[in-house]
Amino acid sequence: MEIKKDKIKELVKILDELKLTELSYSDGKTSIKVGKSSTTSPRIIEQNISSFTSANEQAKKFIGVKSPMVGTAYLAPKPGAKPFISIGAKVKKGDTVLIIEAMKTMNHIPSTQDGEIEEILIKDGESVEFDQELIKIK
Amino acid sequence: MIKKILIANRGEIAVRIIRACKELNIKCVAVYSSADKDAMHVQLADESVCIGPAKAVDSYLNIPSLLSAYELTGADSIHPGYGFLSENYEFVKILEDHKINFIGPSSDLIKKMGDKIEAKKIAKDLGLPTIKGSDHGIKNIEQAKKVAEKVGYPVLIKAAGGGGGKGMKIVFESKDLEKNIIDAKTEAKNFFNNEEVFIEKFFQNPRHIEVQILSDGKKVIHLGERDCTVQRRYQKLIEETPSPVLSKSERKKLLETSVNSISKLNYKGAGTLEFIYENGEFYFLEMNTRLQVEHPVSEAVSGVDLVKRQIEIASTNTLNLEQSNITFNGHAIECRINAENFLKNFQPSAGRISSCHIPSGPGTRVDSAIYQGYTIQPFYDSMIAKLITHGIDRSSAISRSLRALDEFVISGIDTTINLHQEILKHKDFLTFNYDVNWLTKSDILNN
Repeated sequence: MEIKKDKIKELVKILDELKLTELSYSDGKTSIKVGKSSTTSPRIIEQNISSFTSANEQAKKFIGVKSPMVGTAYLAPKPGAKPFISIGAKVKKGDTVLIIEAMKTMNHIPSTQDGEIEEILIKDGESVEFDQELIKIK
Repeated sequence: MIKKILIANRGEIAVRIIRACKELNIKCVAVYSSADKDAMHVQLADESVCIGPAKAVDSYLNIPSLLSAYELTGADSIHPGYGFLSENYEFVKILEDHKINFIGPSSDLIKKMGDKIEAKKIAKDLGLPTIKGSDHGIKNIEQAKKVAEKVGYPVLIKAAGGGGGKGMKIVFESKDLEKNIIDAKTEAKNFFNNEEVFIEKFFQNPRHIEVQILSDGKKVIHLGERDCTVQRRYQKLIEETPSPVLSKSERKKLLETSVNSISKLNYKGAGTLEFIYENGEFYFLEMNTRLQVEHPVSEAVSGVDLVKRQIEIASTNTLNLEQSNITFNGHAIECRINAENFLKNFQPSAGRISSCHIPSGPGTRVDSAIYQGYTIQPFYDSMIAKLITHGIDRSSAISRSLRALDEFVISGIDTTINLHQEILKHKDFLTFNYDVNWLTKSDILNN
């Protein structure tokens, strides 16, 4: 059988261009498969692990209010009114710190502990997701 | 003749209307917000038009956008569904002024029935029993005190432009009246931009019973009553027909009075008269000038397709159906499945449906717009499916509902499926021993 070097070179070029690790080609009579072991993938996995660990550490460290639902967050009881909280304000467990509008209901979100507002991580009217960190309390 | 309908709604009711259109060989146009691009109604309609961003006020309530979609697609009529613009008389007035066919009654009647004080006046004139209270808005606290004394405590303060329990206050003693009037006015102003409030007798143990009407302006027929007493914060959860508590003579009187009163109105379309029922007496609550969520139970027992009849009336000005040709068979129950966690004070639960199995089998109907992989959006109502079962009597309809609820699988989000199972098995439900406040106080939610 004749080895079609040109075909193989062409396939390797496509492999590199499209950043693939494996490519098969068949013209009915012969089939060619080219591939390479990726040297970059271990590094990617490493990155994933490290970012995962840091997210985990952050989650451990986070003290404050997380969103119990997906919806739209409001920092004041109605447009133009005084916000529920401000940075440095003291809050007690159970105090309303913001409202999340979801499915046509206004849900009062209570503080999860006593403390002082350290940071407000969202803007008024912003969409928030389930479990998103909303307010840091110290 | 109607050839192409634009459906100004979303979710299960848009799908319900599309089904009627297709069976009638009428083209249908879906409108949708950018959050609803993957929604079922968009996929089922013949054509669809995106009319704005996720928030309803910018899309489903955006009248200029809707009218552009109407023009663009060459539709000849608009079906409003329920909610959104269905009872907005200004919207319907615009349609009338521009000779656009609206599938529903006139803007004039929508306006009158939307104002609770005005509606009560009309009901009284039509010969319907009304609730004792002030016939006009409350002007000052002296007047409020006089009315409350005359009606007798406890009294209920209600917003003239209200609904859904907003702006409502119960007052048990005269000393609390002034404060509650002020609070109710503030709430009414905030929610409805109309601070007018009125006073009515407060019912301690009311049931909610309503009558389904169809009318072409000349002929009026009824499709029986619906009992919607199982509620949570004035939101219906379970509806059934016939009502398990009415005697034959009570039912006959209620249905006849309702038909006679609507005959004097030149009302065109489907409508519902809602009543409070307590100690053997009915009191007019309000009239809904549109299709209702719970319409399928009436369809099940009467065999009449309400949406097709709405289209027929709007298309030909005639209802080709006689009361004498309608026979009522068996018993039907609807369970509203909401995306809520009922154990966490009914907290809304939006998100992706990871797996979904819709029940089927004899006497089982599910009206819904969900599917496996669909993401429930946080921008709209939490009701995601309605299970309607039909049986030869109440107990067989209950058994069928329980069987179907058992088959119902919606994973990935919280739903009220388990709540319905507990209600339908509860001894109070089985013995008709409940009122509109029952669920909130029941052991199901307080264990």
